[in-house]
Amino acid sequence: MSLPMRKVTLTVNGKRHDPLDVPEGMMMIDVLHEMLGLTGSRLGCGIGICHACVVIWDKDDKTSEEVQTCITGVEFFDGKRIRTIEGIAETNDRGEVTLSPVQQAFLDKFSFQCGYCTPGFVNAATVLLERLKRSPVAKAEVEATVAAALEAHICRCTGYVRYYQAVRDVILATPGLTRDSA
Amino acid sequence: MSGLSRRRLLRTSLLGGIAVYVVPLGSRAYAALVDDRLLTAPAVDNGSLKYRVDGRAKVTGGKVFARDIRARDMPHWPQQQAHALALRVTMADRVYAGFDLSMLGADLRPDRVVTAADLARDGFAFPDFYGTDMLLPEGKTPAYLGQAVALLIFHDFARFRFAKDKLQFNDAVIRYGAVTGPLQRDPWGAGRFVRVGGKTPADGDVFSSTRQAPLYISTYDKHRPAWPKPSRDGDLGEQAMFYAQAIDEELTRPPADWLVVTRDYATQSADTAALEPDNANGWYDAARQELHLVVPTQSPQEVAEGAAGMLANSRLGLKRLFLHPCFTVGYGSKDHSPLPYYGLIAAAYGDGRPVRLAYDRFEHFQAGLKRHQFSMRYRIGVDRKTGLMQAFQADIVSNGGGRANCSDALTMVAATSAASIYYFPKTDVAATAMSSRALDCGSARGYGALETLAATEIMADEVAGELGLDPIELRLRNVLKTGMKNAQGAVPVGQQRAETVLQKAAAHVLWTGRVARKQAYNAANPGRYYGVGFGCIQRRFGDGAQCSLAKVELSADGLITLAHTGTEIGTGTSSGQAVACARWLGRPADVLEMAATDWPELPVETSGNPHAMAQEEQDRLAKNPRWVPAFASASSASNSAYYFTHATQAAARVVFLHGLLPAAVAIWGREVKPEAARWRDGALTAEGFEPLPLARLASDAHARGLVTGATVHVFNRWQWAEAEFEIDGARVRLPVDALSLRRGAAKDWRVLDRRAVFLPPTRNNNAMVGYNTCVGTLVEIAVEASSGKVLVLNHHTILECGNMLVPELVSGQMQGCLASGIGLALHEEMPLYEDGPGNGTWNFNRYYLPRGGDVAVWQQTAEVLPPLSDSEPPKGMAEVVMIPIMAGIVNGIAHAIGHRFRSLPVTPERILKVLG
Repeated sequence: MSLPMRKVTLTVNGKRHDPLDVPEGMMMIDVLHEMLGLTGSRLGCGIGICHACVVIWDKDDKTSEEVQTCITGVEFFDGKRIRTIEGIAETNDRGEVTLSPVQQAFLDKFSFQCGYCTPGFVNAATVLLERLKRSPVAKAEVEATVAAALEAHICRCTGYVRYYQAVRDVILATPGLTRDSA
Repeated sequence: MSGLSRRRLLRTSLLGGIAVYVVPLGSRAYAALVDDRLLTAPAVDNGSLKYRVDGRAKVTGGKVFARDIRARDMPHWPQQQAHALALRVTMADRVYAGFDLSMLGADLRPDRVVTAADLARDGFAFPDFYGTDMLLPEGKTPAYLGQAVALLIFHDFARFRFAKDKLQFNDAVIRYGAVTGPLQRDPWGAGRFVRVGGKTPADGDVFSSTRQAPLYISTYDKHRPAWPKPSRDGDLGEQAMFYAQAIDEELTRPPADWLVVTRDYATQSADTAALEPDNANGWYDAARQELHLVVPTQSPQEVAEGAAGMLANSRLGLKRLFLHPCFTVGYGSKDHSPLPYYGLIAAAYGDGRPVRLAYDRFEHFQAGLKRHQFSMRYRIGVDRKTGLMQAFQADIVSNGGGRANCSDALTMVAATSAASIYYFPKTDVAATAMSSRALDCGSARGYGALETLAATEIMADEVAGELGLDPIELRLRNVLKTGMKNAQGAVPVGQQRAETVLQKAAAHVLWTGRVARKQAYNAANPGRYYGVGFGCIQRRFGDGAQCSLAKVELSADGLITLAHTGTEIGTGTSSGQAVACARWLGRPADVLEMAATDWPELPVETSGNPHAMAQEEQDRLAKNPRWVPAFASASSASNSAYYFTHATQAAARVVFLHGLLPAAVAIWGREVKPEAARWRDGALTAEGFEPLPLARLASDAHARGLVTGATVHVFNRWQWAEAEFEIDGARVRLPVDALSLRRGAAKDWRVLDRRAVFLPPTRNNNAMVGYNTCVGTLVEIAVEASSGKVLVLNHHTILECGNMLVPELVSGQMQGCLASGIGLALHEEMPLYEDGPGNGTWNFNRYYLPRGGDVAVWQQTAEVLPPLSDSEPPKGMAEVVMIPIMAGIVNGIAHAIGHRFRSLPVTPERILKVLG
């Protein structure tokens, strides 16, 4: 086979892959699925609409952003750090897993059924919480803020209500994410 | 690893001479195979489930779906994963003349191409259910758009990926010959349900499907049903047509005090848009003569049987089939889907490599089973003075597309559901499932009833409008009450609660305040028009031949293990069944095995078609104590809450009555009636006796050789099969048709031959509907004049569904169904033919699915009617909630702008056309 290849450096869930030989033009979701074995970022549409495939791009300025991996080539992530759904919960030396507050809330609230869209919602909500930590929102604006942050994500089973409520409740229960007045 | 040693853990069944091993991902058997677990033990708080048993795996991105599985995840497979794609026609009016892969060049050429010629040579063909031409041979006109013509297999991912980029959307790939026009074929089925009731709803019917028979035909004239000639004294079909003709004449020349309303309704072709696109991954191990297949399916038993039959008929010489069904989501599109069989073919031609056939969304749109498009002409005669409906006539036509699949059965369900919550003294409902060049359609959520019921509820408002009656008042006057006969002449089982739902809706502020709220909203929001609409339906759950197996076992330390034939399809079946054990065992099951299909504990036999069997045939077969009318139902038709639970609880009850209770009585030293016993905080007590923890009772039951495990088979044809068995020297009658027991610590199970069996009569098949769930939804909308958009401001749903197993799951189901209903009412639509998904260019960019902002996510409310009693069974409610909001939105739009839409979806373009 003579497909053009290139070397990229990826840091995924804190693990550095350097160098990784990837075919030029391959989408990041394919690299995650086929080369790294990380299939939690789900392929829903492949054209950047449903957001089931989003990962979190951790930028050098300490901010984070969702990126759709189904429409973003692996080259974009060269030298960058990302978190996938597999890296959101913390696992200690004994292999014990501690869910993030967002994951725990989704579990407690029965937010999902089939769970195919869940990784996207976890990542979107995680990015939102990290943003609010830097820039709190007025309590009265929490619901609108949650709605804006999750609006792009498609869920076909539970009709969004339990996702939205879970994120709202986590925000309201987490000190520092909200302020009392506008 | 060799695999063989571990495979000894698995149990087999023999289908068509091939040993079939079904090992669901997430099962104990699979855990033994790959040392992985997807289901956690149920976490319980005060007897309630704290979270889904599959929740942790799903929320952490675990490999839950078949789509997640690669060869490297299957330790006994070769690690090199190959990938396959299907070539499909995009035109169905001309001869298919082969394909051209020259655009791939040498670098991207597939390693293996599979065509119809290969299948013919090697003896591969679809199971009969799916029809012919699994891959279309050259020289034939395709039966439908998107029909597969070849599989291309690549031994590595990169070449597969880039080759696909070159082939997709490329009209030069498929070659065509002479234009023939689309194939013209007879319908997939047609039927008619005629009823003329007695003088009152309580009187016997003059004629009805239940009393006489439904009219099913197989003769067609120019591809339209050739109904029999009417004759009062003819055969049953001719008699049905006699009464149908009389109804038609009465509606055509009605009595002076009747209002007759005739309307045409249409619903759209749609995709269920399950987020996991169809896929399969398989490996053919020629050396061991084994085939391994990982599949997402709602019906693993069907796939096991179909795949084994397909392989048995091939020249592969296969001895063993390993099927790994996974958690999945399909909303009906993965029930009796052809995809697993294409996955099997891909694996068979993998040249020793595992082959993955995983559609992207474009391919899923092009190949996945679709929702039927429906056209309905309804005619209702109603007494102007009383507002009582007198007659209902319907001509229902569904478009089933290119393969039969379930189109016939689904369309008959559509027909027999259409009368909904209403009592009609006379009904004539004709239904035809047409074939066409559209994509093949499957059992999309609602199973036909969604379309006909939505139309009925839109029409109810139209009739009320013509009469000048409040729409809910019209419904209350005509609502089917307990004991009344439905349109088939059958009396639905149990208390009918539609009247209560209607009364609650009529008293709700969204309804009582709609005039004032409209004035206030319109005044405050210039350019928007406010409206409130309502819909209320009842729909059957189950399909008239529901069956399953369940095994409940207790270890000596009180660990509860449940195995069940039901499949987890994302709805929470596994969680619900775990919880269902608590009624008899005091707490949910600790260990679950869902989608189990191998049952050496209870080897039952089955034959015949339970839907169409003659009574004499059933009586004859039932003399064999191991015979049951059907083996196990797929997860569909909202069947888990009621039907699956029945099996679970029947098994748990036997363990309780013949294991735990006798153990408790022995400890207490006094006889206690079962009904006096209560579980409190995981301990059994009665009449003030010492509470005994489950572990102590289990230990005692083991030591005494009491019943510590029960496996049951259950069957329901609108009533449960019952049988008598000899247990502990007494003859007991149980709501099961097969039973085996395990005693004490014994490893062996003993099958109890039933001493007598009481199967539901085959006549029940005529009823078509037995159990109903009722739901009503009030919806508050606003039409934006400038854009034509409909804004869903709020909605309130009233549901009755018996005792809920897991209230949070019911609530989540409701919210999801409401979103789906909003999508079908306002957004989702695609053309049937050349511009539709068969052309391979459809995706979510042009098929809009509701988002959070479309469903009144913060405002919506719901209530569930309290159960009639503690012992009322849970009822299936997964699909029913989709439907009334569809009609409610259309009725709300009429309230807002005064125009009644009769075709779905009501898009902004259609509204703008009306608003000018």
